[in-house]
Amino acid sequence: MRPITAFAALCGFFLSSSSLVCAQSSFKPPQTFKNVNLVRNINLEKGYARETVNVVVENVDKEPQSTYYLAFPSDVFDKVGGLEVRDRKAPEKGPLAVDALSVDTPSDVQYFAVDLPKPLAPKSQVTLGISYYLLSSLSPRPAAINQADKQYLTYSFSAYTLSAYPTVTQKTKLKLPSTNVPDYTTTSGLKSGSDPERQGTTYTYGPYDTTEVAPGTTYPITVRYEFTKPVITASLLERDLEVSHWGGNLATEERYWLRNNGSTLVNQFSRVEWTLTNFQQLPSSAIRELKYPLKPGSVDPYFIDDIGNVSTSRYRPGKPPKRDGSLELRPRYPVFGGWNYSFRIGWNNELSAFLRRVAGSESYVLKVPFIEGPRMPEGVQYEKVVVRVILPEGARNVRYETIETASNNGLPPADQITFHVSPHKTFMDTLGRTALTLTVENLSDEARDSQLLVTYDYSFWDGMRKPVTITAGLLTAFAAAWAIGNIDVSIKKR
Amino acid sequence: MAETPVDALLQGSTGRNTRGLLRIIILLTIAAAAVSSRLFSVIRFESIIHEFDPWFNFRATKYLVQNGFYSFWDWFDDRTWHPLGRVTGGTLYPGLMVTSGVIYHILRFLTIPVDIRNICVLLAPAFSGLTAFAMYLLTCEMSISPSAGLLAAAFMGITPGYISRSVAGSYDNEAIAIFLLVFTFFLWVKAVKNGSIMWGALAALFYGYMVSAWGGYVFITNLIPLHVFVLLCMGRYSSRLYISYTTWYALGTLASMQIPFVGFLPIRNSDHMSALGVFGLIQLVAFADFVRGFIPGKQFQRLVTAMVVIIFGIAFIGLVALTLSGVIAPWSGRFYSLWDTGYAKIHIPIIASVSEHQPTAWPAFFFDLNFLIWLFPAGVYMCFRDLKDEHVFVIIYAVLASYFAGVMVRLMLTLTPIVCVAAALALSTIIDTYVLVSRGPGPQAKTNDGTSTEGLRSTRNPVVGITSYISKAIVTSSVVVYLLLFVAHCTWVTSNAYSSPSVVLASRMPDGSQFIIDDYREAYYWLRQNTPDNAKIMSWWDYGYQIGGMADRPTLVDNNTWNNTHIATVGKAMSSREEVSYPILRQHDVDYVLVVFGGLLGYSGDDINKFLWMVRIAEGIWPDEIKERDYFTARGEYRVDDEATPAMRNSLMYKMSYYNFNALFQQSQAVDRVRGSRLPAEGPQLSTLEEAFTSENWIIRIYKVKDLDNFGRDHGNAAAFERGHKRKRATKRRGPRVLRTE
Repeated sequence: MRPITAFAALCGFFLSSSSLVCAQSSFKPPQTFKNVNLVRNINLEKGYARETVNVVVENVDKEPQSTYYLAFPSDVFDKVGGLEVRDRKAPEKGPLAVDALSVDTPSDVQYFAVDLPKPLAPKSQVTLGISYYLLSSLSPRPAAINQADKQYLTYSFSAYTLSAYPTVTQKTKLKLPSTNVPDYTTTSGLKSGSDPERQGTTYTYGPYDTTEVAPGTTYPITVRYEFTKPVITASLLERDLEVSHWGGNLATEERYWLRNNGSTLVNQFSRVEWTLTNFQQLPSSAIRELKYPLKPGSVDPYFIDDIGNVSTSRYRPGKPPKRDGSLELRPRYPVFGGWNYSFRIGWNNELSAFLRRVAGSESYVLKVPFIEGPRMPEGVQYEKVVVRVILPEGARNVRYETIETASNNGLPPADQITFHVSPHKTFMDTLGRTALTLTVENLSDEARDSQLLVTYDYSFWDGMRKPVTITAGLLTAFAAAWAIGNIDVSIKKR
Repeated sequence: MAETPVDALLQGSTGRNTRGLLRIIILLTIAAAAVSSRLFSVIRFESIIHEFDPWFNFRATKYLVQNGFYSFWDWFDDRTWHPLGRVTGGTLYPGLMVTSGVIYHILRFLTIPVDIRNICVLLAPAFSGLTAFAMYLLTCEMSISPSAGLLAAAFMGITPGYISRSVAGSYDNEAIAIFLLVFTFFLWVKAVKNGSIMWGALAALFYGYMVSAWGGYVFITNLIPLHVFVLLCMGRYSSRLYISYTTWYALGTLASMQIPFVGFLPIRNSDHMSALGVFGLIQLVAFADFVRGFIPGKQFQRLVTAMVVIIFGIAFIGLVALTLSGVIAPWSGRFYSLWDTGYAKIHIPIIASVSEHQPTAWPAFFFDLNFLIWLFPAGVYMCFRDLKDEHVFVIIYAVLASYFAGVMVRLMLTLTPIVCVAAALALSTIIDTYVLVSRGPGPQAKTNDGTSTEGLRSTRNPVVGITSYISKAIVTSSVVVYLLLFVAHCTWVTSNAYSSPSVVLASRMPDGSQFIIDDYREAYYWLRQNTPDNAKIMSWWDYGYQIGGMADRPTLVDNNTWNNTHIATVGKAMSSREEVSYPILRQHDVDYVLVVFGGLLGYSGDDINKFLWMVRIAEGIWPDEIKERDYFTARGEYRVDDEATPAMRNSLMYKMSYYNFNALFQQSQAVDRVRGSRLPAEGPQLSTLEEAFTSENWIIRIYKVKDLDNFGRDHGNAAAFERGHKRKRATKRRGPRVLRTE
């Protein structure tokens, strides 16, 4: 076998297994497109950066082209979450397929490949709406502050949006959470007039005429703005949804490993100062409380951590038809920058609101939220989320899909969600329950409203397995006891 | 007699079955009552491990479950007693942890995955149900009345003296040990009664289990030989006694030696010598008994006297010689303190500092046992009436346990079983006498009716006496009232005195709703989440197990007080000036210091109130450097306010407790609510430590030990510089100018 074919075979293997497209390190996207106009919106109101790029793309090649490459700097590439590309003219058709290109040797730029729904004819244009968020992209400056001080974050990006193709005109709109912006870069020589233009909390860089600028040119811009709120990061979220047909119950348990990525404390924690801050209701960079909306009809919530119940929580049950319940969680201590807090919460729901039986068959359809999580104005970012749907014992033929909506649902493309089905053995199981495990990296609370659809087959006899087993077991035990009791073990003859 | 349909059920073989079923139902009900009365704390708070020692047991159990039995057996714990470590596997009684581990694995096998914490929390209530059953068996051996056993089981199930150590969450050795104690005694009594090797071997087996579970096994080790000795002295030697004792001693001693912590103690420690001595004695007695069959009376008498004198002389001399030469360990300090209540206070302050080692106050007997305590002597008296071998056992047990319970509060626990037995004997006699006796004279009176005599007329319809309805009604109803009062008292005591986890404190909001003060867990969880995994925490030894269990961080000292010097070192660091303490902290790699301060909330169990024990224990090792007198004012008062002594005010403990406390009160003067005193206007200054965390109600305060100063200054100077004071330059007196010559 010649080396080239071996490499191709390897590429094919990667394609099928983890949906990554292999590319050689010196990969350059073919210069078949031109960005006619590019508008980038950067939203920094939450504890992570959200970017939306609207770009008008024109095919400059002679052939029809169907693959558009998105470029990201390598240091950001691993932090991109919830990437979604839509045709702006037809958003209701759902997002376009996106593949990440893995590079085996380090390079400055890495690419995603977007498959256009139909090949773009030469000289024709398409408008792409690209949205994504960047996790852990905001760094606190100063890195350490006093307990009652204001916290400032910085965000760095390039005035010229990184693209694989030449761009004719482009501009960047920056939305900040407050008007207190002590530092921001003013560009010189990029355009006539003052740059950026400022309007309230919105800063506009550009528009720039970049026909002559080579793709990949950068012009660094840094903004530093006040953000006296916690930067809530979950390094891991494990979410278990357990379906019980017998109990008619959907039990949810979530385990969080939280961290505050804000500025650390210069000195140690002072309780006196914290009492004052609380008394005067001043804003703080510490996590005081997490507000967690629960679906209507949620009951028996609990909030515990490694050493038992956390008594500082409150639950207001919602009204069943519409209003959400609200679980107010207060960590045991205020979580300042650099501090950790891990905990678990759980609750129960009536299963009938989530499960439908497919009429006339033994299949069931389960529709549950992909993630829930606290709803905070400052946002929550999740570095890794493991969702495990535990179906009843004997469930077969498990399939899942995420529901696409007209707008971005915050989830990454379906093929970046890894999944596997494994048995999970717990209370009085013989075979073990069927557990579907989905793993996603880089998620944010933008994905709160996304839904997960799981279908599976489950027959009547699967449901009867447990009672039959227990009955048989008990009968065996009684029979054995009776048999043993009848054995005469005395040495003397009676 | 069979007049009603109910009677038909209670006679013959149907009657036996009915009674058996009734008895089982009653016993199950008693067990259910015993379990449920211990669940107050789980219902009020949560399923949580209580207090201090249980946290270690819980941690050890988790280690056992995670790492398997053999690594538990060989466990060297480097996260306690830093930097010494502790050979935990060889210095604990593994019975409790192994029991929970076995239950855990059985449930796993049955695919019922119960969390190990819940098993640990509910182990004590579950075993209390078994204790009630064992109590039933033991008492049934003592009395022919069936009601005695059931009464004893009911008493044992709910008496506060036992509940105090077996509520849900109180995961301590006593949780299973009391069951084993009672059950071993039952097996022993059974063995003595039957002279059976099987019962003797079973007694030895459960004795071995008991040894693996609790240090209180020494009580059995001494009580059973004493029983045998007294029986021998009463001239009641029999082959039954010989068989049961020798079986029990040989097998039981071997079984007890399997526990690494016990090891060779049974043959080397004075506490165990009585069992060995009685074992020898019973051989001699058996030999004498054997010889008696061959030798005429007079010579035999002489032989016995000579033998007794010679052997006792040799044995005594041997014992003294071995003790002096150190082969047999002398009595332990705890043992001496059993006989002289003042001993510990003078010689071993660390034992005296534990509140449960204090002598019992007399109301405690009534508090823990209620009306059982005055039925107890009556029951013991009942035993004298038909003095069989097992009744001698009850009497000896009663005498010894009453004495010990008077000496140490915690030994109330060993008294409780025998009080229940004796009280049940007394009460069942009363009930049998007044409720059942009427049936006896009934038919007799009928037969006598024909030949009515003058003497019997007065007894025919008696107004007083045990057969009259009035006296029956009075006695029965008063017994019922006493029993009801007993139940009410037990429930009240359990609910109010013994069901607080002490990790979580409860108080009431103005509107009557429960408010939970959770400072301990707040601070421990902060340590667990936000400090390096091997940060060394120094605190007074009371909190060592909790820090190990909840914060999962290494500690310097903990509740296993095996090294007095190490504890004294911590005491010295706490009670000395900062300049003295800082080198001690550095030498022991201390990263954080934890103190408990109740001044804001009025929580009286705080470190300032325990401070004198730290001083005393430190003084025991460094009498030149620490003096208890220095911490009292000239008038002998223990004060923390303006009049506090310099030694007090400069001690690290005082500074850590009150550091920054003034700032909370803004303009007004700070008040310590525990000691009810106003604090000095100027709060203490700390230079070698910095406040790292203080819990919401200030109960736990954690300080970080500062690293060495970057400029090589000492911390006092560095702190003064930070505060803006100029460094006091020692005005160097220069000597007379010397002409430099080159």
